[in-house]
Amino acid sequence: MEIGLSRRRFLKGSVALSVFGGVTLTGPEVLALGKTVNADKPASYSVPTLCEMCVNKCALIADVQDGIVKKLNPNPLFPKSKNMLCARGVAGIHALYDPDRLKTPLIRVGERGDGKYIKATWEEAFEYIKTKMVKILDEEKDNRSCIGYCAGEGMAEHTFKSFMADKFGSANFLNHASLCLQTATAGYALTLGAYGQADLENAKYVIMAGANRAEAIVTPDTMDIFKRTRGRGTKLVTVDPRYTNTAMHADLHVPIKPGTDLSFVLALTYVVISEALYNKVYVKNNFNDFDKYQQHILDNEYTPEWAENITGVSADTIRTIARDFMAAAPQAVYYQGRRSTWAKNDFQLRRAMALFTALGGGVDVKGGIVFGDKLPLENHDINTPLYFNAESRIEGDAAAIVGASGSWVAWRNMVESGETPYPIRGMFVYKQNPMLSIPDTSRTRKMFEKMDLVVVIDTMPSDTALLADVILPECSYLEREDPVRSFPGIEPAIGLRQKVIEPMYDSKPVMDIMRGLSKKLSKPLWEVTKKHDEDVQDELEGEDELAYYKENGFDLTEPYLHSQEELNKHAFVGKHGEAAWKTLRKTGVYYPDMDTSFKKINNNDYQYYPQHKKVYSVLPIEDKTDINILANDFYKSCDPCENPADIAPLKRTFKTPSKKIECYLGNMARKGVDPMPTWKQDEHVDVPAGKFKFITGRHAQQTQNATQNNVMLLELMRENFAWINDAQAKTLGIAHGDTIEISSRVGSVQIKAYPTPKIVPDTIFYVHGFGAKSDGQTFAHRNGASDNEIIEGNIEPVYGASIMHETLVTVKKV
Amino acid sequence: MNYAMALDYQSCINCKACEVACKEENGVQLGADKQRIWVGMVEGSNEGKPFVNLYPSQCNHCIDAPCVSVCPTNASHYIAGGIIKVNADQCILCKGCMEACPYDARFIDDTKVAVDKCTFCEHQIAETGTTACQATCPTKVRTFGDLDDPNSDLVKLLEKRRFFFQKEEIGTLPKLFYLVPEDEAYAKQSIGPNTKIHTWDEIKPLYERAAKRRSQEWK
Ligand code: SF4
Ligand code: SF4
Ligand code: SF4
Ligand code: SF4
Repeated sequence: MEIGLSRRRFLKGSVALSVFGGVTLTGPEVLALGKTVNADKPASYSVPTLCEMCVNKCALIADVQDGIVKKLNPNPLFPKSKNMLCARGVAGIHALYDPDRLKTPLIRVGERGDGKYIKATWEEAFEYIKTKMVKILDEEKDNRSCIGYCAGEGMAEHTFKSFMADKFGSANFLNHASLCLQTATAGYALTLGAYGQADLENAKYVIMAGANRAEAIVTPDTMDIFKRTRGRGTKLVTVDPRYTNTAMHADLHVPIKPGTDLSFVLALTYVVISEALYNKVYVKNNFNDFDKYQQHILDNEYTPEWAENITGVSADTIRTIARDFMAAAPQAVYYQGRRSTWAKNDFQLRRAMALFTALGGGVDVKGGIVFGDKLPLENHDINTPLYFNAESRIEGDAAAIVGASGSWVAWRNMVESGETPYPIRGMFVYKQNPMLSIPDTSRTRKMFEKMDLVVVIDTMPSDTALLADVILPECSYLEREDPVRSFPGIEPAIGLRQKVIEPMYDSKPVMDIMRGLSKKLSKPLWEVTKKHDEDVQDELEGEDELAYYKENGFDLTEPYLHSQEELNKHAFVGKHGEAAWKTLRKTGVYYPDMDTSFKKINNNDYQYYPQHKKVYSVLPIEDKTDINILANDFYKSCDPCENPADIAPLKRTFKTPSKKIECYLGNMARKGVDPMPTWKQDEHVDVPAGKFKFITGRHAQQTQNATQNNVMLLELMRENFAWINDAQAKTLGIAHGDTIEISSRVGSVQIKAYPTPKIVPDTIFYVHGFGAKSDGQTFAHRNGASDNEIIEGNIEPVYGASIMHETLVTVKKV
Repeated sequence: MNYAMALDYQSCINCKACEVACKEENGVQLGADKQRIWVGMVEGSNEGKPFVNLYPSQCNHCIDAPCVSVCPTNASHYIAGGIIKVNADQCILCKGCMEACPYDARFIDDTKVAVDKCTFCEHQIAETGTTACQATCPTKVRTFGDLDDPNSDLVKLLEKRRFFFQKEEIGTLPKLFYLVPEDEAYAKQSIGPNTKIHTWDEIKPLYERAAKRRSQEWK
């Protein structure tokens, strides 16, 4: 990537010329550029804040000396992160001081993708955006949806989204959900009323299939489970084509053929139903249409022997797991998992998993799947304008239900192939890197190449940034305050991300970026609306224009007038008071009675909530008189949370349409979706001789594709390796470290091989996130390979989520 | 005072938070081979089933530390609590200590132009009572403490759990106490057949005697 200096700015003799593409600034020079020493701050101070190196938001305390962030330490006060910071969290300093960070706004001067940019002021960048937006919207007759937008997960995501959706008015929003956990959250929510959280601190039996909590860290799950496996209170069964770091902690590891998990769960269900091992009282009280499900499972003969053929897991193993699970129930969980959508049937898989846990009674009960509580915060209402000409999202028909976060792959495919109901002319990208995160990279590139305006807001020059017309530098999470956040759970708490140091270079928080952008765009876009929006024209007749503009929300600047600090105070104080606000500011964490309940037991153990205040069961329980399992006055005599087996069978009010656990989804049937989890042999992708199925995943030292340029993390993992079954590697003559070429229908990569017995045959794996091509990232540049170069861009039929594990590849040594 | 560490190594998930926290806390040179702390890994397969054993490791702060006795300039030395440190100014990079250490706990830090190793985060013990690697660990593998204090969490833990040392037979009296896993299968898979298993009651006299013998040098 090359950056020229605009002539005007050059003549003004501006600061050091920074070219990203070479490391021109290092160490002290970089630090010196930060607007560091703040007059009213002492030379050394500490700020409690929240990590953003991944999605977990662990609480940390940043130590600052002479304006430089020296160390990030875990903050013990936060129940969700329990006094830990993982490798990435501790290495956050190197994200802050990454020499390759985006430092100023940049405007493209070369062809799209060739990496030639000129430095700009914020004013120049906003002006550029405005000119293009006005032209595009005028040409599209104020159809706001002609500009799409996407965002990666983060605490400021909502600020960006509120501008693009509520104020600007585009319906075409996309985020990571359809690349990640859409099917899992939906499958659990439609079945149980919510996705819930597995209570791994108390579960006695946990099946983790595909989920890899040792390497894909999720708090508090990772901290809870690995202290309790193998002889310490919980039996962990891992089901995975790979022997992961999670599998090494399992009491039983079950290797399975990729894409066959649904068959495995259906067979577990068959055992439990045919042997009548399920919790009959719980099912009678809480299941809707259980008869249909029972019939369905038995009629289809989903026997362990049937599943053995499909999954490669022995029928005996399936029987044992089903029986042991039910013996431990209700403190038994088929763990929900996060990054899902492995195969076309993923929604059905998640439903079957939820139903299986529920058959044991392990929902809304200690040691099972729990829903927890959430501390309230005030909402900020946004005055949302109505644009008559704004169309609905383009890919709404791509699947049975396309949700508010869209179907990224379907959307991309439509734009790339030009099959959209109206033109998509541009895109705003915030904190996401579609070039690495969406299957079939070459199509993503073509999609961006077709657009008239691409704006990227990020901290790093990602592969996607290099396709932008305008790049706006966001400051890192250590340089900004974000919207205060309430974290639900068994021990709910509120956490605050506070600014540790002032933004370095010419970077800004999203809040400030939206403030500047909305100021620039509001009036000119209002002119476009007036010109094309007939509703507005009618309504304006005889009205005072300025008053109408303000009253009806067309003044886009209004939500961004206040500082984030002011908004947070407002959101918090109304619910929890001034004193609590001071606590939150001082400690970064707040929950009721924290001052008395929080206790350090020893260096490794802390108490957050006392036992009787932990929130395990939350659903309203009906028929309190009908508790014949418990002789005396149950509710007065004991804490229901203490006796999960007793409380499990009680009748609850679930947050589903029937208020019960839903076995049969009639509404879905009308949309052509199987109303009950069904195995479709014809949809299963078998691996023909000579081919492999490609699977992808995570590991604990990098977050997706966002951290590969971090020098500290780089030394922990420089590049990714392709796992291949060692016996198969041998027949192909592939040895450790050999470069191999992996090719699918959509692409081909070269990567080093890692032959190992830790992966089942006919399967290739490598970790997601590597293989960046942006030469703006000095260290991450071309390390290893990107999974999405070879994964095909297909979606599952229910939510349009991207299928990650059905691509067939060939492998050859180069 | 006699600082030591117990490791519930069964809980280690090889996340490497401890490695990064150590580097950040102590300003250790970047580089994969520049480590004060690391996770030893043994991979294999048993009847066709793969297994992995993880041994989080660092300097043992041996009571009879060969790294100290070989050092010609006294750069390697004991301090209070039996912690072993290297004085960078005195280190002449002869590498004798690196060869003498049975645990490979030492390396050359080019930024310090000296041999470097774990210090048990001696600079922060008074303030935090623990080490950076202990604090950051998601699964809380480590318990740091004082063997001389019968009320310390460390001693209480050692009274409850059996443990072993790495390479005990070399006789340096190491102070990383590896707790025998509560799971028999993992204990069997991760502890060599010739490794001695100890209890605190049984080994306490030996360690106390040795510490007393050394106490002159621990200041
Ligand atoms: S898990 Fe690690 S990266 Fe994620 S928020 Fe916590 S410390 Fe940060
Ligand atoms: S931080 Fe803890 S779990 Fe992670 S590698 Fe170190 S010892 Fe193991
Ligand atoms: S482990 Fe090695 S470096 Fe540490 S005290 Fe023992 S001999 Fe010296
Ligand atoms: S005790 Fe301190 S110096 Fe030693 S390994 Fe742990 S963090 Fe590093």
